[in-house]
Amino acid sequence: MPKTAPGSGPSRRPRAGVPRKPVVPPKTEDSVGPPDTRDEVTAAVPPLVEEPPKTESASQEATLIEEGTVIELPARVRKASRPRKYKPSGTPRFRIFIIDSGWNSVARRVLRHNFALIRRLHRDDPIYLLSRKKSTEFIRRHRSLIGRDPIIAVHDSAAMGWRGTAGFHGFHLHLGIQRTPRQALLALQTFARFLATHRLSANLEADIRTELRREGVQGAVEILLHKVPRVIGA
Amino acid sequence: MDRFGEVLSVVLGALALAYLIYEIDRRKRKLSDLFHVLGSEEADISAELVGMVESGELQPYTRGARA
Repeated sequence: MPKTAPGSGPSRRPRAGVPRKPVVPPKTEDSVGPPDTRDEVTAAVPPLVEEPPKTESASQEATLIEEGTVIELPARVRKASRPRKYKPSGTPRFRIFIIDSGWNSVARRVLRHNFALIRRLHRDDPIYLLSRKKSTEFIRRHRSLIGRDPIIAVHDSAAMGWRGTAGFHGFHLHLGIQRTPRQALLALQTFARFLATHRLSANLEADIRTELRREGVQGAVEILLHKVPRVIGA
Repeated sequence: MDRFGEVLSVVLGALALAYLIYEIDRRKRKLSDLFHVLGSEEADISAELVGMVESGELQPYTRGARA
């Protein structure tokens, strides 16, 4: 390897009189931090060693200063990251069941793609996912559900605790009747929003009939005024 | 001629109104089918799901788990 002439370019070897760079400890998970903070620390801590003699040119001097600078990072004891623990905020109001026999439909694809988000949005409520086999057997016993799945069944624990399944006790979202991805996604979003905003509802049945099903004169007016996304009711 | 125009207007108005009522009714039926309220008629469906939970056949979903 040819020797570089003195002063011809930035030298890679430490020059005489310039202390070597300190040995950088190997990176571990705890010590690796975001690059921005390291740069900030680097900028904030002034150099602690003597500067090299001012005999070279200005550009080389700047390079030398950079090379010869010893930066001592303050000792930081990084706390081990705690595993995320989500504590539900109280007694779950709803029990959610997802029944999907496996039709190759757009609704099924939309549900699969958005299931993780639905789960994150409704961590307070247990979600029971029936397997394809269990769903098929279940639907075979209740034939009125054929072709309506994927179905998201929501049981209202408050209503069921009061009168069981004899009266109102929840509702189904029959996602399978939606024919386009946009319809299915809008229905899913409406469903998720409704559940999240009506956790403390005193009369869930009334809320479902007015806000989701748009029953009554007011519902008719809202449909006329296009307050209901046209694509859901189409 | 005027009378014919009046009759025609009334008929067209009635048709428009009928279509409006039909369209509202159709959308309401679609919404009712989409968001189906559970009552006593669906008691057996819900009871079976509840039974599956209580017997342990169904467990709450966790990442990687499926009934």
